[in-house]
Amino acid sequence: MVLTGPVRMSDSVHTRRRILTATGAIVAAATLAGCGLFDDEPEPEPAPDPLQPILDEALAMAAAYDLAIQAQATLAEQLTPLAEDHRAHAAALATLIGTVLPSGAAAPVASAAPPAGSADETLAQLRKSEQDAQTTAIAACLAAPADRAALVGSIAACRATHASALR
Amino acid sequence: MKEQLTAALAAEEAAIYAYGLIGVHLTKEREVKGARDSEQVHRQRRDYLVDRIAELKASAAPAPAGYALPFEVTDRASALKLAVHIEDGVAQAWRAVLPVTEQSQRNAALSAMTDSAVRATAWRKYSGTTPLTMAFPGRPG
Repeated sequence: MVLTGPVRMSDSVHTRRRILTATGAIVAAATLAGCGLFDDEPEPEPAPDPLQPILDEALAMAAAYDLAIQAQATLAEQLTPLAEDHRAHAAALATLIGTVLPSGAAAPVASAAPPAGSADETLAQLRKSEQDAQTTAIAACLAAPADRAALVGSIAACRATHASALR
Repeated sequence: MKEQLTAALAAEEAAIYAYGLIGVHLTKEREVKGARDSEQVHRQRRDYLVDRIAELKASAAPAPAGYALPFEVTDRASALKLAVHIEDGVAQAWRAVLPVTEQSQRNAALSAMTDSAVRATAWRKYSGTTPLTMAFPGRPG
């Protein structure tokens, strides 16, 4: 009886307020869930883009060239354009994937040591790295959907020209 | 796909023609050999494309007897410059094949494009042109 009383007596305003309150509670719960308070099962991280490894590799190659130039300044003229090619690849891939390049893309340099060997040894090591990087880019090109094949193909071909230019 | 393969065939035909002229103006052994090897590779690619196009039951336009060269070839310098130009053009034609092919045929297109990009790099090196490489071989423009 007590429960039915207010309903029978209620005017439309009262009823509307109760509805609004109830709605508010639902909205609040949804908002809280969005804040992560109810994240018992967090959304799985989206899978990385299949081209992310190619982008990472481009940044690593650019950093390797930077280190080589630090160690042997006489190589700067030969190696700087190659490092720039890799940075251009990273930028193009970031745009395609819709990601942002890490600020100060040369950051990995800080944690790595400049190559210790002679200039010839450094060039041989870079050449080997380019060949490995070409191999991964070829695989990525063959696996890519049509709208990505040309860009990744150009990156693979560029890495091959680098290996050739280092000869 | 036929359109892209036909364009690649035209580029290969032009390369075969051009290397005939280029070779005449070269004397250094490595350059003469480079021109001869390049011409041979472009002939193989031409044959490959003729086969692919035949499989599509399409007829390729007959190759023209001559080609309009982008500039006159009169000496070693202009011959090397034409070699770079030709290989860049072939790489562009093959790059357009990548999106319209898959698996082994895309692999063949990528190999052709890469080979041309590497040859262009070698010709730039011989001619003392820098930079030796471009960031996106085969990309038009």
